[in-house]
Amino acid sequence: MKILGIDTSGLVGAVAIADGDMLVSQFSVQYKTTHSEILMPMLEDICKKIHLDLSSIDAIAVAKGPGSFTGLRIGSATAKGLALALDKPIIPIPTVDAIAYNLYGVEKIICPMMDAKRKQVYTGLYTFVPNTPEGKSLERTFDMQVIHEQFATSIEDIATRINELGKPVVLLGDGVPAYHDEIEELLKVPFSIAPMHQNRQSGAALCALAMQYAKEGRMVSSDEFAPEYLRLSQAEREAREKGTGETTDREKRKLESRKTPGIVRIRQMTAEDITDAALLEKENLGKEAWTQNQLATALTRDDTIYLVAEKAGRIVGMCGVQNISGDGEVTNVSVAGDCRGEGIGYKMMKQLLERGRGIGIKDYTLEVRAGNEHAIKLYERLGFVSEGLRPGFYDEPKEDAAIYWKCRQEE
Amino acid sequence: MKIDKNVEDDGVIFMSIKDGNSDAVKDSGDVLILAIESSCDETAAAVVKNGREVLSNIISSQIALHTIYGGVVPEIASRKHVEKMNGCIRAALSEAHLTLKDIDAVAVTYGPGLVGALLVGVSEAKAISFATGKPLIGVHHIEGHISANFIENKDLEPPFVCLVVSGGHSHLVVVKDYGEYEIIGQTRDDAAGEAFDKVARAIGLGYPGGPKIDKAAREGNPDAFTFPQAQIPDAEYDFSFSGLKSSVLNYINQAKMQGQELDQADVAASFQKAVVEVLVSHAIKACKEYGYNKLAIAGGVASNSGLRELMEKECKANKIQFYRPSPVLCTDNAAMIGAAAYYEYKKGVRFGLDMNAVPNLPLGDRERKFHGRGN
Repeated sequence: MKILGIDTSGLVGAVAIADGDMLVSQFSVQYKTTHSEILMPMLEDICKKIHLDLSSIDAIAVAKGPGSFTGLRIGSATAKGLALALDKPIIPIPTVDAIAYNLYGVEKIICPMMDAKRKQVYTGLYTFVPNTPEGKSLERTFDMQVIHEQFATSIEDIATRINELGKPVVLLGDGVPAYHDEIEELLKVPFSIAPMHQNRQSGAALCALAMQYAKEGRMVSSDEFAPEYLRLSQAEREAREKGTGETTDREKRKLESRKTPGIVRIRQMTAEDITDAALLEKENLGKEAWTQNQLATALTRDDTIYLVAEKAGRIVGMCGVQNISGDGEVTNVSVAGDCRGEGIGYKMMKQLLERGRGIGIKDYTLEVRAGNEHAIKLYERLGFVSEGLRPGFYDEPKEDAAIYWKCRQEE
Repeated sequence: MKIDKNVEDDGVIFMSIKDGNSDAVKDSGDVLILAIESSCDETAAAVVKNGREVLSNIISSQIALHTIYGGVVPEIASRKHVEKMNGCIRAALSEAHLTLKDIDAVAVTYGPGLVGALLVGVSEAKAISFATGKPLIGVHHIEGHISANFIENKDLEPPFVCLVVSGGHSHLVVVKDYGEYEIIGQTRDDAAGEAFDKVARAIGLGYPGGPKIDKAAREGNPDAFTFPQAQIPDAEYDFSFSGLKSSVLNYINQAKMQGQELDQADVAASFQKAVVEVLVSHAIKACKEYGYNKLAIAGGVASNSGLRELMEKECKANKIQFYRPSPVLCTDNAAMIGAAAYYEYKKGVRFGLDMNAVPNLPLGDRERKFHGRGN
């Protein structure tokens, strides 16, 4: 088994080649140069020096994260490109596990800490457990036991967890110098810091752990591999923080409506409904359907109201209106094909028209294919009155649009 | 050109653009380039033959994922590129009925763009180049847009004048030779595409602004309002769109305050006319004064029908040959990168494995420092 290992998760950029239980070559740089400029030249150098035919590699191991987002992507995209071109699998290795593997055989608690900024670390808790191989009396092998798998947390939290274990701990990783004072203050157990030849990301440790993974068949195809960042992007984080209550409520509602399959709930459309709503539009309107973009944009405006009808956890209807200086233009009305005739369109529209009053809409208008009798019947039931035709408005097939209005004084 | 579209589970739109006229057979002397593009929110891969024939053109568009944030979020874009890139490259090869063995070079956009996004394409391209032993060529994103013109206009050869207009760029360029560019005018403030987006938002048309305004303008009166067209006194080919944009926004506010009804279509048509007239008059003037009888347009805004119509008309009147890519080739794609890369390849340009993403790479300025490898 020949493995190429790549780790660019932190300041260290490392490339290594391992063949069976031999480390054939490793190249490691811990310096401020960007991984993008040095990673491939390091590999190129190694290949020249050990006369390596890259196609003889069996798998590519890569630190899958956590780590610097950009660093992880450089390593991952490089691994994916190599794996695609060489038609080899990828062995994704948890970054923190690989750092811990530097301390093979250590029976104390091992705690790697990567500086994740904002007083946080990417960390985990490990130890090595001795085994006596069959038929041997003195020889030992060690299994790395994961006490707490890698995660992102505060210094306080990891210190508390270490203190609870109540055993001596060995610390390593670039989070140790970064938060040394805090660590000293918080830890209540004896601790030591691994020396420099063992205390950072290492291509050798990555390859050694990858050999274990390979034996266990823990490999993936190059296409399906993606890094694990353990953190959302800032934009997603902020969006989630804003909408936390919303999300859990929505999940609750979804569960409830699954329990009561016949019931249709009409509620405001949220960003999470966009994909389903766009699909529904597409099924009904084909080319004239609104895209996800259009829906998403419309949702962000404060002069619009968008509703969905949810049945058994599925979006079966959607409609929307935009307030254009007091005139409410009904922009979308869709009901799933298998749910028509159940009054969903009527219920949804009734709510939409009511809610529209709340944002200052006086009169409503909409356009409909002149031949769409089903829809026209619905609008007439809701009090819409035909006001004329817009010839040839619709394409494929060409058809006139009937213009309908529902004016306040007519109610 | 035929477009196959498919919306994936995560909202990303996978597109395969097929050019029925291309020929996948490789004859001796033919150069096949695998091109990769990931500078913004489109992950793209293509195979291009001899710089002009597109054998495959795959685009994976994330635009739907970014709209809820009101613009492209670089971190989300970069993450999606890592997920989508291999699938795009595989699709580009399989649609062209080729394997990496048949390819002569790997080309990639290395700037300008979002650095995190660019790095994904750059890292993949370098890895594939090294693993296959094929030469690596870095391409400037805007040179790619300009080169999109070569794909459907087999007779177009430099020198010519090119107007590059997109969400991030408004450049008037003299293409002196393949890969040789002189910028004679650029925007002092907003790019033309930016102005379209902002005005579209203000009049309630939404995102993306370019196509929305284009559509609305067709039903409006372009002479309903006269919005100012800025001229820069000491740089006659430069553009300025921020004054025009402000004047449209002011008008909208005023109308709202006075309770007047706003005619979306009229505002769109008048605004579009003001932008298009400046772009066209500068471009025509450049052709005349620099003595070129060929004019091309490129970039996202080059698909604007108002721009296309007026440019065509003015070119005809001034006996200038007018070139433009199909709208689908005006958006970000990898086929255009393959077209630009071919001429670099023929010139012997090769990049080293130390190639990095250069987010603010200037047009026409050859970044020599990555040209280390002599293969």
